[in-house]
Amino acid sequence: MHTVSLHSAGMSLDACIKCNICTSYCPVSQVTERFPGPKYAAPQSERFREIGQPRSPDASVDYCSGCRVCNEVCPTGVRIAEINARARAQMVAEQGLSLRNRLLGRNELLGKAGSLAPRLANFLLHNRLARRLAAALFGVAEQAPLPRWHTEKFTRWLARTDMHRLRSDRKVVYFHGCATQHYEPFVGMATVLVLEHLGYEVIVPRQNCCGLPLLSNGEFGAAERYHRRNVERLTTYIEVGYPILGSSTSCTLTLKEEAPELLDLEGDAGVRALKLATWDIFEWLRERQEQGDLPTDLHRLNDEGKPFTLPYHAPCQLRAHRIGKPALDILAQIPELELRESHARCCGIAGTYGYKVEKYQIAMDVGAELFGFVAAQYAGLEASSSFACTACDSETCRWQLEHGTGLPSRHPIEILAAAYGLYDLQARRPRGGN
Amino acid sequence: MLDLLVIGAGLTGLFAAYAAARAGLRVRVIAKGMGATHWHAGTIDLLGYLPGEQKPVADWVEAVPELPAAHPYRNLGVDAIRTAMVEFQRLVAGAGLPYESAAAGPWFAGVAGGSGEQDGRNSMLISPVGAPRPVYLAPAAQQPANLADTRPMVIVGLTGMPDFYPTLIAENLCRQGHRARGATVPLDKLTARRDNSPLQLARLFDEPAAQARLAEMVADVAAGERVGLPAVLGLHRHARTCAHLQEATGARAFFEIPTLPPSVPGLRLDTALRESLAGQGVRVETGMEACGFGTDGRRIEWVESETGSRPLRHSARNFLLATGGILGGGIHGDRCGRVREVVFDLPLTAPQARSQWLRPLFLDSRGHPVFQCGVAVDARCQPLDESGAPVYDNLWAAGAVLAHTDPIRERSREGIAIATGYAAAAAVARDVSPPPAADN
Ligand code: SF4
Ligand code: SF4
Ligand code: SF4
Repeated sequence: MHTVSLHSAGMSLDACIKCNICTSYCPVSQVTERFPGPKYAAPQSERFREIGQPRSPDASVDYCSGCRVCNEVCPTGVRIAEINARARAQMVAEQGLSLRNRLLGRNELLGKAGSLAPRLANFLLHNRLARRLAAALFGVAEQAPLPRWHTEKFTRWLARTDMHRLRSDRKVVYFHGCATQHYEPFVGMATVLVLEHLGYEVIVPRQNCCGLPLLSNGEFGAAERYHRRNVERLTTYIEVGYPILGSSTSCTLTLKEEAPELLDLEGDAGVRALKLATWDIFEWLRERQEQGDLPTDLHRLNDEGKPFTLPYHAPCQLRAHRIGKPALDILAQIPELELRESHARCCGIAGTYGYKVEKYQIAMDVGAELFGFVAAQYAGLEASSSFACTACDSETCRWQLEHGTGLPSRHPIEILAAAYGLYDLQARRPRGGN
Repeated sequence: MLDLLVIGAGLTGLFAAYAAARAGLRVRVIAKGMGATHWHAGTIDLLGYLPGEQKPVADWVEAVPELPAAHPYRNLGVDAIRTAMVEFQRLVAGAGLPYESAAAGPWFAGVAGGSGEQDGRNSMLISPVGAPRPVYLAPAAQQPANLADTRPMVIVGLTGMPDFYPTLIAENLCRQGHRARGATVPLDKLTARRDNSPLQLARLFDEPAAQARLAEMVADVAAGERVGLPAVLGLHRHARTCAHLQEATGARAFFEIPTLPPSVPGLRLDTALRESLAGQGVRVETGMEACGFGTDGRRIEWVESETGSRPLRHSARNFLLATGGILGGGIHGDRCGRVREVVFDLPLTAPQARSQWLRPLFLDSRGHPVFQCGVAVDARCQPLDESGAPVYDNLWAAGAVLAHTDPIRERSREGIAIATGYAAAAAVARDVSPPPAADN
């Protein structure tokens, strides 16, 4: 059982100088009075949390969405979000876990179950009555943007198109994550097409959920089992030097840092090797670009000679990697693409946070800043009949963006695949023989 | 390839990045966190006290030549400081947050002591506890706090806002011979929160309904005096909030008094800088802590920042160190008393024994050695080694990381940031694209 222990995150609280910068930027405490903000929840309350203490002194920490904006802005490096995550784990250890949180934490299981009969699952999950029931029985917010199961899983597409897949001496490993596997296989397709366009063979080994939803709901024991299994499955590739690339910013962050740090596995050699071998897809592409290895046959995305306006939001999950905004560096090469960088702090959804009945409205209020930014990018532009979308690297954030703006949202890798002429951005499927 | 990588996103780093971008350079900023702008009063304190003097500086143009020869201001000279200030004023005015010399504000015409013209004149404004603060430039909302104005004041606090004590401020002002009293207005109709941070209140007063309510309540408690309020009068719609209040309270002057952090005037300034940078196409990447660098001996080739996995490399032609001093995190002191500059391990003018960091008296008028330590630079803002030669050919430093100044005691923090940041950016720009030869 994990309780609050002596760990790097907890040690960092001594660095707090009480400047309140984190509170100034915490998007949750800005919109709700139920959460007093990072400084109070983490460095302040943490001093009153003790190993074996019967009750956590501050239950409001459950309202922290885990977006990590506070970590990003803290001038002294306090790992506030991690302290909060541990406090939540302690509360779970004390009080048990609701069925709802247990379900939301098992994204992968849900994904698999739905994929058995995707049409039925979509019907069951997406009709009004079912959503109302889910809200009443489990506390899953009725309006929150639940994804739809795709009729073909990503790995099934891979198997079906196996004879078209590139074989090459240069190889990379792709960690697709649950969302790509069950809901958005086209993101995986776009990733594979781009990597093959660069001349790499894409290996997709067996893998399971990175465990992040379990971590954010405080189920540390189950998360550790998940993580250890991934380490086992990926080790052979890491040993021969293949990079592990992911298109889901939350999965890659979990492999790099969240799991090792929150689960106190930083000393484990396999865990460490995986941490160092993992790349966000655009982080890796930027490295290729710097080496001059990125093909430059990029085409514009529109036919009419009008610039294509693309509001781009770097999700908090990506910012937590601390690698900058590599997608901006790459997409900037696409001709006639008007990239608009969002400075909004968070879309609100923060993984499974915005799916919870009591947090849905908070998530929408947090997202308002981002939705407003997107709307402003089209203000003054004449309504165009051609395709328009936003871009964001994280799946749940894309769903929230679509929910909040009414515009479709795409992973930047889909944008890049389209610019290479490999992918239909609107229909979300490969062009040509695939 | 970038022409300039700025490390640090405080006032120094952001303003230097802006100046460099305006000069046509390709610039990026990386920073560990948000920068110290959020802790500060949002005024530009240029030079409030000369070392060892109790009397505040009345005019910095006259006082600068009296500073020790090694001081960064002496290094730059009065003209360079003035140019930087003018450029700063141009930036903030363009961002809708005009700064003026507090001694030259339009409201001040006719008040005794006001010259109406802007030279190096400081003004005394009011600190969060009612002490006088020598300030050079102030945002419009703080200018009427000028203590040279002898009209009586009422300092208005808000219930539900901790850490702002109108009676204490008023008593302190009276003790200095000013006429002031304290009053409190209830906020319970506007917010149920009892622990409002200045920032939450500022966001609240971005709303027209809250502005109107505040204006009513202020008109009720003010009996014709000028009104001092905590600096919470709007964040994103600050100008509108002030206009609204001015209209509703009639001709009465009102002003903001800075609060404890998070400081809303500091946040407004930070926002103005970031928006101006975005307008110049400059990216500011936060959450990136510089943790290593590579060099060929003479030139820095890259700087690495820490990430969730392997370090990230940033290559550039030039690097500007704007990481701050011991308070901002640019200089680190360990438990054994060693003090080091955190990115390039540059030579420091620092006492390397913990026993010598601090003087025995907390409020010693000479200040504490550890707060005065820093990186020595030449007139082009390039860090120097012990022999007085530049350590690297393409490395520059500005702001609180510099040696031979004690910004806390001198009240020169923002002045140093702006003047040295601008000078460093200008020197880099000259280096990257030297001015055309005279004959063409
Ligand atoms: S992680 Fe996000 S919601 Fe939680 S305290 Fe930090 S900023 Fe606030
Ligand atoms: S930003 Fe960091 S140092 Fe400042 S109050 Fe928050 S945790 Fe403490
Ligand atoms: S974080 Fe990634 S692996 Fe984990 S549940 Fe989400 S998509 Fe799946």
